[in-house]
Amino acid sequence: MALIKVDNVQKSYSLDKTRLIAVRNVSLEIEAGERVCLMGPSGSGKSTLLNIIGCVDKASEGDILIDGEDANKLSDARLSDFRNRTMGFVFQSFNLIPVLSVYQNVEYPLLLQRMGRKEREDRVRDLLAKVGLADFGKRSPERLSGGQRQRVAIARALVTKPKLVIADEPTASLDHATGASIMELMVEMNGSEGSTLVFATHDPAVAEFAGRIVSMIDGQVVEDRSRS
Amino acid sequence: MRNLMLASRNLLRHKRKTLAVLSALIVGLAGLVVFQGFLSEMMRIWRDNSILSGVGHLQVAGEPGYFEDGEFNPYAYPFPKAAQVAALLLKEPGVEAVFPSTGFVAMAGFGEASKTILVKAYPAERSFFAPKKGATKAPSDRFLLGTLESGNPIRAGERDRLLLGATSARVLGVHAGDTVTLMAILPGGQLTGRDFAVSGIFSVIPGQDDLYAYTDYDTAADFTGLSGPPVLDVLLDGVDRVDAVAASLPPDLSFRTWKDLAQLFVQVNSILASFLAVIRTVILLVTLFILANTMNRVVVERMREWGTLRAMGAKKRDILLVVLCEGCLMGAGGAILGILLGFGIATAINLSGGLSFSQGPFVWAIFDRPGLDSILLNVVPATLVAGLAAILPGRKAVRLSPAECLREV
Repeated sequence: MALIKVDNVQKSYSLDKTRLIAVRNVSLEIEAGERVCLMGPSGSGKSTLLNIIGCVDKASEGDILIDGEDANKLSDARLSDFRNRTMGFVFQSFNLIPVLSVYQNVEYPLLLQRMGRKEREDRVRDLLAKVGLADFGKRSPERLSGGQRQRVAIARALVTKPKLVIADEPTASLDHATGASIMELMVEMNGSEGSTLVFATHDPAVAEFAGRIVSMIDGQVVEDRSRS
Repeated sequence: MRNLMLASRNLLRHKRKTLAVLSALIVGLAGLVVFQGFLSEMMRIWRDNSILSGVGHLQVAGEPGYFEDGEFNPYAYPFPKAAQVAALLLKEPGVEAVFPSTGFVAMAGFGEASKTILVKAYPAERSFFAPKKGATKAPSDRFLLGTLESGNPIRAGERDRLLLGATSARVLGVHAGDTVTLMAILPGGQLTGRDFAVSGIFSVIPGQDDLYAYTDYDTAADFTGLSGPPVLDVLLDGVDRVDAVAASLPPDLSFRTWKDLAQLFVQVNSILASFLAVIRTVILLVTLFILANTMNRVVVERMREWGTLRAMGAKKRDILLVVLCEGCLMGAGGAILGILLGFGIATAINLSGGLSFSQGPFVWAIFDRPGLDSILLNVVPATLVAGLAAILPGRKAVRLSPAECLREV
């Protein structure tokens, strides 16, 4: 059974009297462990589809099943729990909480799970070591470079051992070399942690890190190809 | 805890902004604390001076009707058990002194002049005069008669002496050392008269010393033919014990407390309390308005953070709690800072002797001791109001979906 099943999903917005359709009748299945890139130019609907898959936005029409759960039928509170236990997010602008230290940023999703202190500490330290930031725990995110911040975000996304990692333009705020190293880290972590990675980008070089590329234009999937 | 931690970190994020927002609360409450301290000290001194100026903490009589007209007709209200009751009362904790008192209305004559006066009588050793200048704390086991303008107080064992108010002395043309004749009507219409040596002339607050005169209790009892005291005056070490001491009295006795006697004080105190409550309400409303506006702006500025937290699994309730905690912490912090600043100002003024002043025996100063009432009256409402101010911004923070929050720049 597919980890993600998107069935005829449509997302539309009403702006004054105009109805804008961001995603049109998209159907997609993603297996566990896959590395999928949603690729397309700005406004193609890739981020909107990523938000729907990540359960931070609701589809206007169609069904979305994640790990067997119908996201449209979950209450807001249960959806929050579901996101916390099933998914990890990596954002373009890192979205670290500036008032928390590196360690606390990574720890936050585990606090929401009410995990015990010892286990929490072990997980956070393990993840920070894996992303190469073992000695940066006490540091404020504001005192890190862009690449380091995104490494913290990756550690935070993976600390709950999620089945699915969602990354929206993870390299767009980084220079080319740093972006490449971040993608290499994400691919490596995807393999070692056994999670499924779905990321969006407009950059063909970044898309090369995916095992499967889903191309979108004007809210529609125009190509879905696996890379050998 | 995680929400409280986030809220407290957020407050420290922009210290200047937080302080600027709280300045209204801090300055307002600091001013209020200084003003309240000044008023409460004035009221405390007024209260203590009222009690020690002849009211007493408690007056105990043998007959219920004494407190209606006994002061003008003490003969009708005998108190045969006075000595036993005094002995009982002296065993109660906090009782400083129990002594008999009485009074009578007399016509004072000196040469061609005459004036009606109300003579009050206590044992000589239970009265004292305040020095003319400087701060003074009245002894707690005797009555304060005012300030002695000339002559001497009545000493224990002296008889047929009179202390006359300055206004009465001026009307009669009497000086210390002169002798005046007092005439009083006894029960049954019998007229009695006696010469009294004017031991001293005293003043209280101008206008309040034209009626009263004082003599010692034994002279008054002898002059009026009283066989025993109609009333006992009780002085305690503080107002807090009044009810407990009153409750220890045998049920067949009558009593009244200083509150029954100092009605003007009670009314003014009540008016001042209402006045302070109005000022406090205005300060809190201003805080509510400023805080609600600021929190609203802050919540909008942090929209992407709320979206990130929601994406990680925080519930709407978590976000709402973070915002509410932030508001409450601001309110409590502002109130505590305001109180500390207020007490700091009051202490500084007191130490420099700035606003302490006296009129006659009364001394006024700025109160500078933090009390639990200040915490309850200021910190609790400020915290609640700040929490209230954060409700709407908090609801705003959770109204949008995580995706909409994440799109905010």
